[in-house]
Amino acid sequence: MAMAALRREGRRFVPLAYSPTPINAIRSTLAPTEEQVGLGVRSISTQVVRNRMKSVKNIQKITKAMKMVAASKLRAIQVRAENSRGLWQPFTALLGDTPSVNVKKNVIVTISSDKGLCGGINSTSVKISRALHKINSGPETESKYVILGEKGKAQLTRDSKNDIELIMTELQKNFLNYTQVSVLADDILKNVEFDALRIVFNKFQSVVSFLPTTATVLSPEVVERESEAGGKIGDLDSYEIEGGETKSEVLQNLAEFQFSCVMFNAVLENACSEQGARMSAMDSSSRNAGEMLDRLTLTYNRTRQASITTELTEIISGASALEG
Amino acid sequence: MASTAAVPFWRSAGMTYITYSNICANLVRNCLKEPFKSEAISREKVHFSVSRWVDGKPQKPTIRSDTPEV
Repeated sequence: MAMAALRREGRRFVPLAYSPTPINAIRSTLAPTEEQVGLGVRSISTQVVRNRMKSVKNIQKITKAMKMVAASKLRAIQVRAENSRGLWQPFTALLGDTPSVNVKKNVIVTISSDKGLCGGINSTSVKISRALHKINSGPETESKYVILGEKGKAQLTRDSKNDIELIMTELQKNFLNYTQVSVLADDILKNVEFDALRIVFNKFQSVVSFLPTTATVLSPEVVERESEAGGKIGDLDSYEIEGGETKSEVLQNLAEFQFSCVMFNAVLENACSEQGARMSAMDSSSRNAGEMLDRLTLTYNRTRQASITTELTEIISGASALEG
Repeated sequence: MASTAAVPFWRSAGMTYITYSNICANLVRNCLKEPFKSEAISREKVHFSVSRWVDGKPQKPTIRSDTPEV
C-alpha cells in the first residue's frame, strides 16, 4: 500500500524533473545551485535570494553609518544655531515681525540643502514658498524667488522659471560662518529690488520635529512708511539716536544688518534640520532594511527546505521505481 | 533716497552696512595674536556659487571663493 502510494507520488514528480524547461535556457547564466522550474514556478532560486540578502545588508550598513555621521554633525551645529537665535531677537523686539505686510515687491528667499537623502524638509520649504508666492501675487504686487541650495533649485525650476532672480549653491563647502552668509545677503541686497523679503526655512525644534518658518524683513523705505502708520514700529521715535545720523540712515543700516542676522540664523537652523531629518530618514531606512532582511531570510529558508524535500522525494521515488 | 545730507563715506562709495561691518571685523581679526589669529581667519572663509536668472534662463554661474580652485 505504501509502495503504491509512493509510486503514485513518483509518477507525479517525474514529469517535474524531466520537463523541457525553456526558462532554464535564459537562466543558465546563474549559478548551478538553481533548481529546475517549469509548469508554474513555485519557488525562486536560492542564489537570487542570497544576492538580494547581501545587498540589503550592505545598504543597511551604509545607512547606519550615514545616520551616525549626521548625528555627529548635528551635535556640532546645533549649539551654534541656538546661540545665533540671540542675534535677531532684539531686531524683532525693536521692529516687529510683520508677515502680513502688504507691499508691492516681495522677494521670497528659499533655503534648502545641497545634498539629498534628508527626508521631506526641502519639499515643505518649497511648498511654503509657492504658497507665499501665490498669496502675494495680485494685480499690483509681484514676488520673485531667490534660491539657496541645489534641492530647492531642482524643484522650483520646474514650474517657476520666470520668477527666479538668483540661485546660490555650494554653500556648505566650508564650515558655515557669518562672513559667508553676510556676503550672500550683500549679494541679494545689491542685485534684487525688494520691498519685503520673506525668508523660508525649517526651524529646528528637536531632532524629530522641524517647523517650517517664514521670517519677514522689510526694506528701510517700508519701515519708514510703517512707522508713520503707527503700531510697534511707530514707537521708534521714542528712541534717541546718537551719532549725528538721521533716522532714515539708522533705519537703513538696521534693516541691512537685520537681514544679515536673520539669514545667518535661518541658514544655521536649516542646516540643523537637514542633519536631523537625514538622521531620522537613515534610521527608518535601516529599520526597513532589517525587516526586509528578515523576510528574505524566511523566504531563503523556505526555498532551501523545499529544494531539499524535492531532492529527497526524487531519490525516494527513483528508488521505489527501481524496486517496483 | 530719503537722506541726501551727510551720507557716511562708505555708503556713498557703494557699500552696504553689511560690507562695512565685515571689513571692520576683518580688521579686528587681523589684530589678534598668532594661535587665535589663524583660528579666526579660518572662520572667515567664503565659498559659494551664484547664478543670476534673467527671463527664466540661467546665466553662467560665478564662483566667489576665498580658497583658490584646484
